[in-house]
Amino acid sequence: MAEIEVALVAVRDIFQDEAGRKSLFSEEYRILSAQIILDRQDMANLAVKDGDKLLVKSEAGSIVVTARASKDDAREAHPGMAFMALSPWYSQLATEAQCESNSVKAKLAIAPTGAAVTAISEIQARIKS
Amino acid sequence: MQCLHCDLSEQGHRVRLGEGEGEKQMAICTGCSLLCEDIVASFENGSLKHAKNLCRRGHGHFQAALTERMRPMIDGEQVAIDKAIERAAEILKSAKRPLLYGWSHCTLAAQSAGIALAEKLGATAEVTLDGASSFCEGILMERMLSGKIATCTLDDVRNYADTSIFWGSDPSSSHPRHLSRFSYYPRGEKRQRSYEEERTCIAVDVRRSPTAQLCSNYYFRLQPGGDAQFMEAILAVLDGKIPKVADKKKMIELASLLKKTEWGAIFPGPGLIYSLLDKMELFEQLLRRLNEITSFKVVPMVGDCNARGLCELLFEKTGHAGSIFFQGGSTAYGAEHSVLAAAKKCDAVLAVGSDPLSDLPIGTARDLARQPIIAIDPRRSLTTDAAKVVIPSALTGLEAGGTAVRMDGVKINFEPVLKSDLLTDEQILARIMEAI
Repeated sequence: MAEIEVALVAVRDIFQDEAGRKSLFSEEYRILSAQIILDRQDMANLAVKDGDKLLVKSEAGSIVVTARASKDDAREAHPGMAFMALSPWYSQLATEAQCESNSVKAKLAIAPTGAAVTAISEIQARIKS
Repeated sequence: MQCLHCDLSEQGHRVRLGEGEGEKQMAICTGCSLLCEDIVASFENGSLKHAKNLCRRGHGHFQAALTERMRPMIDGEQVAIDKAIERAAEILKSAKRPLLYGWSHCTLAAQSAGIALAEKLGATAEVTLDGASSFCEGILMERMLSGKIATCTLDDVRNYADTSIFWGSDPSSSHPRHLSRFSYYPRGEKRQRSYEEERTCIAVDVRRSPTAQLCSNYYFRLQPGGDAQFMEAILAVLDGKIPKVADKKKMIELASLLKKTEWGAIFPGPGLIYSLLDKMELFEQLLRRLNEITSFKVVPMVGDCNARGLCELLFEKTGHAGSIFFQGGSTAYGAEHSVLAAAKKCDAVLAVGSDPLSDLPIGTARDLARQPIIAIDPRRSLTTDAAKVVIPSALTGLEAGGTAVRMDGVKINFEPVLKSDLLTDEQILARIMEAI
């Protein structure tokens, strides 16, 4: 199983934000939140394609998200750097130290998986555990 | 959870329209800290019928008035609102280390009530009051409010700015009408020509964000955490030295543009603030240097509709913009009093207009979820789902009038667009205060 490490950067996404305002528990919000935008070279290294499911692990926890290929052209390639929208899914990977300092320095191990994308109910159960 | 139009017998949960169903009304959008004042909206049959001037974010915010509304609950069971308030007061009164968190979606009056509650509880307990901005915008706000960083209003930006720098911020995603109302596209008093002629926008970011895509030739891509080095490079070029960066030519071009600027504005976002943190003096140094050459002001890209209001109230009261500890009539401040630290030792949580279990790191969310949570919130969230007591409140701006502080410090008053029998945050807090 291929694994790589990336720095994860939390970003804003207007479409995901709108979906969250309507409902944090909607399928639309889950789809737009539980995805990670990866550099094309990183995707090639992982041997995954757009839409594949990935297990993302950090010091804080792990989640299953959908891989999305970055739309940036070759000049804007960002190997080793991935993006996720701020959401309960991102919060599963953040540590307190990263929240207080620089959240972009999170190191993640990403591996392809056959599991389903983490559901909001699963996140709620983890919080209560 | 049932929607707003479910059959509720208590607390008058049902929304009524201000001047009659379907009528168009002027409204203020509290979807973000731009507090756009030119919204025209009407609601009909439980849905947003007409909306003019709302951005996508604002549209979601207005639609939220009609979905996933909360009812008063204790331990997941629906109760009368009086019971929920009574139970909330009991929890807070018996707590030794309560944490009062959130506040950035509340009116100034509600925030003041929250501070008064912290002071009252602080007479006999160790109370922490904090908001999400304390470890981000709050750091910058504190320096701005203490006069270390020159600021201006967004109206000044519209009227005078010929250069806008979006540094670690992406208003196209976070404040969608920022560029069209103030910082790039509009004509202003001194900017009567088209934006292509009169204004230049620069993006400094770790990715080509939607805003950076608009900045075409003036997008500077940094590595995460590379902001300090980038500032040092600008300072070097401004002082006639060779910058220690790969693309020296582009850096010299940037410095030249900055020198030619007549009136500039910098809009720092989380990307810059998280990256600098304890190196914020470097940002002040850059501003001092730029202001020796020309005029540059800073407007922080505050996120929530009244996050700046909380910072200002706390600063006025304590000299600090967040993470305040109240005990025995005195206050203290510091990272040891942030929500992250307080979550580990608190024995009760009051979350007002916020969803800490969604927004904070999983470790902190777990710490909070172990304590009895009182959630005052109009809508369902991860926090209301885990709360011991839920007290539904009127939506700020849509159902509750009041005042909020725009990201640039301008106070905006608003009247409710929708009539609702739900209590406002301020009324709920007043009743909790009475009961304690």
